Order: sequence, then C-alpha cells, then structure tokens
Amino acid sequence: MKLDALQRRFAASLTGLGGSGEFDERGMRVYANNYRGQLIAALGDTYAKTRAWLGDDDFDGVAARYVDAHAPSSWTLDDYGHDFADMLEAEYPNDPDVSELAWLDGTLRRAFSGPDAVALELDALGADDWDRVEFVFVPTLRFRRLRSNAVAVWKALADESMPPGAARLDADGGVRVWRRGLSPQFASMDAHECACLDLALAGATFAEICEQITRWHGHASTAPEAGRLLRAWIGDGLVLRLRQG
Amino acid sequence: MPVQSPPAFHGFGLGLRIPHYADFVATQQPVDFVEVVSENFMVEGGRPLDIIDRVRERYRVALHGVSMNLGSVDEVDTLYLRRLRRLAERVDPLWVSDHVSWTGIDGFNSHDLLPLPYTEESLDVLATNVAIAQDVLGRALVLENPSTYIAFAGSSMTEAGFLAALCERTGCYLLLDVNNVYVSATNHGLNPDDWLDGLPLERVRQVHLAGHSQGRDMLIDTHDAPVPDPVWQLYARFASRLGRVATMIERDDHIPPLGELLTELQHARAIASSPEPCPA
Repeated sequence: MKLDALQRRFAASLTGLGGSGEFDERGMRVYANNYRGQLIAALGDTYAKTRAWLGDDDFDGVAARYVDAHAPSSWTLDDYGHDFADMLEAEYPNDPDVSELAWLDGTLRRAFSGPDAVALELDALGADDWDRVEFVFVPTLRFRRLRSNAVAVWKALADESMPPGAARLDADGGVRVWRRGLSPQFASMDAHECACLDLALAGATFAEICEQITRWHGHASTAPEAGRLLRAWIGDGLVLRLRQG
Repeated sequence: MPVQSPPAFHGFGLGLRIPHYADFVATQQPVDFVEVVSENFMVEGGRPLDIIDRVRERYRVALHGVSMNLGSVDEVDTLYLRRLRRLAERVDPLWVSDHVSWTGIDGFNSHDLLPLPYTEESLDVLATNVAIAQDVLGRALVLENPSTYIAFAGSSMTEAGFLAALCERTGCYLLLDVNNVYVSATNHGLNPDDWLDGLPLERVRQVHLAGHSQGRDMLIDTHDAPVPDPVWQLYARFASRLGRVATMIERDDHIPPLGELLTELQHARAIASSPEPCPA
C-alpha cells in the first residue's frame, strides 16, 4: 500500500471512520484510545471549572461527543475546543450557566498565553480632542453578555468554596476577560458597560459613547458616568492606547 | 541557510513540567539541562514565555517537539516551523528534537505519534520533510524513535536501519528513547538488545529514560511511572556502547515531587559511570 493511502486509512481508523481489520486491531485499539483519551483530557484541562460543575461523567460524555464531531487540525492542543461552549449551549439549552462557564474557562485559557501588551496607565491618560478619541484595547480582551450567574459559580469553584446554585441574572449583564501582566482577569459588567464596551470595540468614538450614556442618564450625569467608565477601563488595564478617530 | 550541528554535550537532565516550574526557577537544581515540550512555549505571550526566560537564565534547555509531523505525506508546516524558529532564537537551545513518526494527514492532527512502515517510500517522505525543517530552523534536528503498537508487514528494513539511512540522507542526529525501544521491541516480539545493531551510535545526542504501563494486550508508553528495572537494565547495557551522551528522565503524568526524579537521575548517572550493568 502506498504511504498516502496507508496514512489516510490509518487516520480514518483512528477516528472511527475507517473499516475494521485493516490494521492490527490490538495496536489500533491503543492508538484510538490514546487519540480520544488525549483530546478528552485536553478539554477537561481547558474547561476544568465546567468539568467540576457538570461532574466528571457528564462532562466526559459531552467531551466524547465533541471529539466524535470535531477532529483536531491545529498543531497545538490549545486550539482544540473552540466550539465546545457552543456545543454545551446546544446540549443544555435551559441551563445557560453551563455554556457560560465554559466560555469563561476557554477565554481565560486563551488569555493566559495571548499576546503581551503594556496597558495605558491612568497618569498617562491624555488626548488633544476627547470627542474624537477611540479606544485600542489590549489584545486579550474579550466580553460576552450573560444570562446566568456563571461568574459567581466560577469564582466559588476557583476558591474551592460551595458554589451557588445555578440562577438566571436578575438584570442584564456580562463579563469581560483580559490579561494584565501575566495574570488572566475577569470582571462582571452591568448592561450599560457591556453596551459601551461593545460600541468601543466596534470603533465608536468617546463622543459617541457619551451620547449613549446621555440617553441613559441625562446630560447632568454624562460626565461622571463617562469618567467612571474610563477610570474602570484604564484602572483595570484594559486600554492599550487612545487614538484619534 | 547553513545547518548548525548540535553541540557535544554530555550532561544529565530532566523533562521540565508544570508542577516543577517554581522549583526550577527559585533554586538551582542539580541538573545539567532541562528539556521542555516546544509546543507549550510556542505561544504569543504570557506566563509560558516568562517561565522559559527565567528557566533559561539558570539552565541549558533542549526543545522537544511533538507536532512537526515529519513522517506525513503532507509537506511539513512551515508556519509551525517559523514559530518554532522564533522560540529557538529566544531560547538558544542545545538542540531541537522531534520524532520519527507522523501525527496527521490532510490537515488532520491526531496529537499522537503514529507509526511509519520502514520502507524506502517512508524514508523519502521523511527525508524531504526533515530537510525542509532543518533548512527553516537552520540547525540539524535530533529525532527520537517512538513507541509503536503496530508493525507493518511491508517494512523492508529494521527501525535501526531506517534511522541509519535517515541520518545518512539528512545529516540529522538521534534521540534514543530506551523505554521506547523496550516497549516497541516487547510489543513486536523483538529482542531489545539487538535494537542498536546497525544504528550509527555516533549520531546519538540524547537518551530518554521513562516508564511505561502494561495495557490489556501490550506495553503502553505512558510516562506515568518510575523507570522500571527492565529499562534501567537495557540502559545499562546500551550505556557502554553509547559512551557519554546527554541523558534525562522523562515523566509526563503522575508527576512526583522533584526529589524523586532527581533520585532517578542520580541512578542514571551511576549507571552511565559504571562499566557493568547496574540494575535498579
């Protein structure tokens, strides 16, 4: 058998798509176990809090189905599992805490080894024309809106304390993830901060963000509210630099 | 690009794994070098690069990869190689190693070290990819014999003969994993003592020592246990033929306190310095 045909058939047998009996079954069983076991272990490592939340058996069951549906292609296992949170959302449609916890696990893991950046310090904050300022954020920053108390659950699991029961959030909100120095961070956000961050990431100017704040709070409160937002973003190390739009 | 040969280096080292990062960074440990898994540090930033920089301040480092996919009919991934080259430029390693195996085809990556038939065709594929890799990296590769669980009836040469031909064709060097020799030979009903026959011993730059486990049908290269007596005994018999060569303990799972691995490494030193077989 030519090598290309052999390797294609071997890969098919490994992933369970090939015919049986083409290769020594005892040996192929070892390779197939290694393949599946390593991928399930990699998912369990990246999504450690999700595994603790679901329990080992349920998690491994979902992970096994994910492996069946997603053959890895990247040279690094760090890239494996990008769609895992989406799969959990489909498998647990009435339990948003599960997929949101997985999103937090996966995003924190990617932030861990994401690009380095030195964030703008508060004392270096300045701009010639604040109205036209746009924000450039550190490259590890990601955010999503949440429907559940996944942040509280993640924190409790990380602290090895009793997590709260799964619950829907009373008010709309979200979470942002980024890395400060060498340490991945996350913080809950209210609905207004989510919207402002969404605008800023889409390239809105500071003036456009302030217009949105005015619609929520009125003119009198725009400056203090915008200042609070700015201090939070700069103080948390989210902003890489300001640019004139 | 001119290809740089790995230096003559005869120290004793350990595979550096996460539970021991702090030990290695905080204090000078009694090792001559550490080996790290290249892919764990081929990242964009963050703590992994901080760790490798701090480790490098104290120790010589060998880069050991698992994803070069040299034996695949797919051409070796030059983006991967460029990323590895950036890491090598940062670390200035003793050498860069990977495996005589393939990991995937048509873009699929199994993240496992899959077996090759030892044929002229495999040799052609492997030699072509090794030459590309060596050209991009600017250095000769050091390549390891994998543990195998399938032997191909179509093989026309022994594993040692295959490796000898690969060295001859590409100028690469060898990483001799004694545990893998023991596991593969046992699984395929061969005598591990015959394994070195035909191998260009002068090309061996590094030795791995590790443990394995007994699976249902065959030995499995799990790296999750101390080096067992049969592997120590094989190493003792190989050591007198290999002469002085960099040697290390490789543990990837059930990682014990560092002291236990250092004790194992001391045992390797004792065997290497003893002309007689020295079972544990």
